[in-house]
Formats: sequence, structure tokens, C-alpha cells
Amino acid sequence: MSAATWREFMTWNKYTQIASRAVRQALTETERVGAERRAQIGVRYQLWENGQGGESKFVIPQVEKSGKPKDT
Amino acid sequence: MLSRTIRPAAALLARPAVQQQTMGMATLKEIEQRLKSVRNIEKITKSMKVVASTKLTRAERAMREAKKYGAANNEIFTNSKGDSSSEGTPKILYLAMTSDGGLCGGIHSGITRMVKREQAKQAGDLAVVGDKPRAQLSRAMPETFKVTFGGVGKDVPTFAEASVIADGIMKNGGDFDEIRLVYNKYVSAIAYEPAVNTVITAAALRQAAGFQAYEMEEDSSNDLAEFALANAIYTALVEGHAAEISARRTAMENASNNALDMIGSLQLQYNRGRQAVITTELIDIITGASAL
Repeated sequence: MSAATWREFMTWNKYTQIASRAVRQALTETERVGAERRAQIGVRYQLWENGQGGESKFVIPQVEKSGKPKDT
Repeated sequence: MLSRTIRPAAALLARPAVQQQTMGMATLKEIEQRLKSVRNIEKITKSMKVVASTKLTRAERAMREAKKYGAANNEIFTNSKGDSSSEGTPKILYLAMTSDGGLCGGIHSGITRMVKREQAKQAGDLAVVGDKPRAQLSRAMPETFKVTFGGVGKDVPTFAEASVIADGIMKNGGDFDEIRLVYNKYVSAIAYEPAVNTVITAAALRQAAGFQAYEMEEDSSNDLAEFALANAIYTALVEGHAAEISARRTAMENASNNALDMIGSLQLQYNRGRQAVITTELIDIITGASAL
């Protein structure tokens, strides 16, 4: 896939994140569960302007472990 | 320590008997409570030290693997160093990296001091990874902040986290020609020191003399620069994580030793106090008996 197609929407790091997520979802059941557990990250970020911090947001929205069913 | 010293038994004779006893008891209770709380603290810091020691082996192993990525990264940049100095001063983005956790000695303040020193030498924008350095730096230089990250450093950092941070910086870091990573270098199991690593952007890479020597079909300098950034961030995160765990181990060990010293001296005070109370009681009984 040539760079020109996805370059206008995302950086190379975002591109590889999406590609690796696709690979994880394509694995067989046992490997997939392990891989998805390894891929869980809780990174938060905040944009700053004029010395004021914006709202703190999760990069990957966290799914609550209790109750809510996870959409696959 | 205590506001009152344990007076010798002779001086207590001057006071009424009841007040002596209550004063002695109150002091004893205070010492007892302090002993109990310091003992709890010693238990906690000792267990934290043990946890940090076990985490350290895993963190060191991850660091040794990650260093190979970092070494490969630096190969590109040492060989493609251009005459960027002829272009004038490059615009710099400083990336300060530690973590959110405390009780690890001087890890965060060392990075904050380093960033302040570097900003004094050459000013630039600032991105921070970690809640603790963010709090310290936002008091010192809030107008330089571009983007901050948190939630990193609880466990051994992964490339996924580094990739997400690199993506965030490319999107929200503003305009810059090079990125200076400020992180803690792992010197040994008991020593660490803040260090600076430089990563250049795609534009600067394209102009580097060493890079231009290669013939390329497709211009991959954008991809290379972004991957190199994620790589450098990953190496720095893992090394900083190992440094933090070793610092936490040392800090908890010192805290436990201090707590043990305090327990020893408090115990002695308690015994002296207990003996003083018993002595005064005996004196009361004897004087009372001799008065009959």
C-alpha cells in the first residue's frame, strides 16, 4: 500500500497501530486473547494552550470491565 | 521528638502524686502510639522495597532488549548528521519522560532540573510524559507546554505506548526541527542520571549529507523519522522505568532503615518512661507506708 493513500489522514505510527490491530484480530482464539491483553494501554493525553491544560482524554477509550458487553 | 523529657524521679517528688501518674501515663500512651505507627510504616516500606527488587529484574531484562533498538536508531542519525548548524538555530521540542508514581527518590525532580537547565541554554517547546514532572514543570514554565501524557510507567513500557506518544507528538507538538528526549539513564542498580537524546525530523533528515548519499525510489524519510521517534521514545521509556524502580528500591530501603532507627530510640524512651512510672509508684507506696 503506497504511502500516498494513507499519508493525508495519519502518521506512520497510527498506520502501524491500525495494521497491528488488524493482525491481532486475525489470530486464532488463544493467541488473540493473549495479544489483545498485551495491547491494552491506558495512556491519557492533554492538549495545552497558553499555559492551560485541556481535558484529559484516553487515547484508546477504556471499556469498563463490569456489566457492559464489549462489541467485537 | 517528645516535647517533654522524662524527668528524674527526684524532681517528681515535688508534684502531687496523682498528677505525676497521669503525666507519666499520657507520655507513655503517646510513645506507644508512635511506636505502633512507625512499626506499620516500617512494614509497608519493607514490602515496597521487596516488590521493587522483584520488578527490577524484569525491568532490567526489558531494558537490555530495548537498548538494541535504541542503538540501531542512533546508527542512522550518527551517519546522517548534516550541516544543520548552517541553517540557523533549529526549533526544539523537549520531551521530558518519567512517570506518574511517587516514592522513588529524586527521579522526577532530576528530570525537571535538567529540563530547566536545557531551556536556559536553548529555549523550546515542551511535551511531558508523567503526571509528576508535569505538575512541577507547569509551575515553572506553563506557556511552553504543548501536550502532556499520563498513564505510562506502571508496568514495563511497551512499543504500543511509545507509538501512541510519538503519534500524539507529531499531531500536537506544533512546529519543530528536532526533539530532545530528557530521560533517566540507568547507570547501575543503585545509580541513575538524567540524559538528553536528540531525534531529528523528516525535513532535517532529508537535508542531511549522509542521507542524500542514498538513492531511493520512494521518499521514505517521513516514515523513517516517525518510526525513529517511536523507537527513541520506547528506549528512553524502558530505561527510565528501570531507573525509577531501582530508585524506588533504594528509597524504600533507606526509609525502612530510618524507621528501624526510630523504633529503637522510641523503644528506649518507652522503657525509660515505664521504669520512671514504676519508680514513682513505688516511692508513693513507700512514703505512704512510712507515714503510717
